[in-house]
Amino acid sequence: MAYTEKKPEEAAPRLNSGKGSFRSGLSRRNRVWMCMFAPVLVYFIVFKYAPMAGYLIAFKQYNFTDGVFGSPWTGWDNYRMLFSDPTSLQTIRNTLVISLLSVFVGFPFPILLAIMFNEIRRVWFKKSVQTLLYLPHFLSWVIVGGLVVTIFSQETGIINQWVERLTGEPFPFLYREGSWLAVFLGSGVWKNAGFGAIIYLAALSSIDPSLYESSAIDGAGKWRQIWHITLPGIRSTIVLMLILSMGNVMEVGFDQVYVLQNATVSRIADVISTYVYRLGLQGMQFSLTTAMGLFESLVGLILVVTANRIARRFGQQLW
Amino acid sequence: MKATLGEKWFYGLNYVILTLAALSCLLPILNIFALSFSDSNSILNGSVNIWPKGFNLEAYETLISGTPIVRAFMNSLLITVAGVAFSLLFTILAAYPLSRRGFTGRRVLTLMIVFTMLFNGGLIPNYLVVNGLGLVNTYWALWLPALVSAFNMMIMKNYFENLPDEIEEAARMDGCGEIRLILRIVLPLSLPMLATIALFYAVYFWNAFLQVMIYIQDTRLLNMTVLVQNMIRSQSMMQFINNVQPEDMQAIAPESVKSAGIVVMIIPLMLVYPFLQKYFVKGVMIGAVKG
Repeated sequence: MAYTEKKPEEAAPRLNSGKGSFRSGLSRRNRVWMCMFAPVLVYFIVFKYAPMAGYLIAFKQYNFTDGVFGSPWTGWDNYRMLFSDPTSLQTIRNTLVISLLSVFVGFPFPILLAIMFNEIRRVWFKKSVQTLLYLPHFLSWVIVGGLVVTIFSQETGIINQWVERLTGEPFPFLYREGSWLAVFLGSGVWKNAGFGAIIYLAALSSIDPSLYESSAIDGAGKWRQIWHITLPGIRSTIVLMLILSMGNVMEVGFDQVYVLQNATVSRIADVISTYVYRLGLQGMQFSLTTAMGLFESLVGLILVVTANRIARRFGQQLW
Repeated sequence: MKATLGEKWFYGLNYVILTLAALSCLLPILNIFALSFSDSNSILNGSVNIWPKGFNLEAYETLISGTPIVRAFMNSLLITVAGVAFSLLFTILAAYPLSRRGFTGRRVLTLMIVFTMLFNGGLIPNYLVVNGLGLVNTYWALWLPALVSAFNMMIMKNYFENLPDEIEEAARMDGCGEIRLILRIVLPLSLPMLATIALFYAVYFWNAFLQVMIYIQDTRLLNMTVLVQNMIRSQSMMQFINNVQPEDMQAIAPESVKSAGIVVMIIPLMLVYPFLQKYFVKGVMIGAVKG
């Protein structure tokens, strides 16, 4: 609180003495800012950077008594084990398949929704549809998983009531690999598409309306306007979002898989995050699963950097 | 100008598709509400759609008397309210200095924070740190690792940077100190953005799931998400509904109790959602345009 009150006689000469006093004011403010930032710096070192040192145990045989630094080194042994074990290889493959599918299936929907919202003129309709479509983003995966399991349940689920009426018998949506994957991807789209559209709507609002007017005078129809004005207008946002989603490719959210998976589909549904949780935290295999985690993070980092490189070539880079 | 036939089709299709999309968000939630209020016969023969059949409140009575849902609800509330307060404070402490042009080390420190978005210590190393600090089985294990979200920090920093310089300069001329400038001018001017960030943190803490499963072993400390997930997962509801006699069980379908659990989790969100909608749309746009 020492900096909050400034007496007038102290402040007065400062106004007259030019640049030097600006400097001293700045350095005084700098001290306040440093005091503010200090706890944040401690937080980032302890909770963000110290765990990175924990990656060391990927190359060690970790045990609790010796700790991260005392445990014996084992070199690449953990990786040799990971890449020779069919289960962990399958897990890596599942992660890639599920996440690539999630990115490419999920990516167009927010763009489509944004373009469609943009063409609606009735405010009440737009408002109420947006309210409903943004809502799933705020529901936890436990709720969405509960909804999915309830709706697709074989005995009492509402979808299977209709399927039974049409085909005579219920379909085990969540217990066949193909349909499970479809339900999984669909639930991801359902939860995220609406909210994802907001960012594109922001980009659309910055397109000059006169472009539409002049193209309409030149006789361009709605489809041509969307193709030649709307889409190019949000191109940089699309590229940006694509780069960001590349960073998440290796990171299939734990919650979504965990709440939707079951023993019948575990062959295709076990991903790195559930593998690390099950083997690492429940099975106490810290070193092996950390090796897996480090692999996941590094591939993610390489993907983002590469995507940014490519985007830079088109002048759309993130950094 | 008259709409051509093609345009009429375009607009018609547009309204139809968006209506269907909106219904797809509404109907599953209505179905869950209906199931939670219906009797077991209607549920088992599958006649419940979006309106309760054989209206009763027994699922909720079972939920309250047979499961620790009330305690879990209070736990979720505590985790959320305190978590939002801590995170908001620390995000301001991070974002304000980084938004000032004269702040020494501004670039390096910003990069240090952004880097954690691209690369982070995974699940196990984080667990080792939290465990090493002795935070397991306390809510600090949920609050402390989530103090500053790099993404929210960037939104806030951009917002502070775009506040008009003139107001700040005028306040300085009048002898306003830095702390008072923040409390009296910067923060009040940033209320819509602060509401957005608070909402993002609130959703994070209210929905906390994996963190709770990892760090909280004491069942009395569990939050709603984990409790409801356990209910959905369990094959027999009996282990949760221990106060109810077996002969009474006939009247309530497990689906009904599960649905009631989900409804209890949705309702608080539904209550605050309409008030916050205008804020989060603005908040995301701030991040999008200048991010």
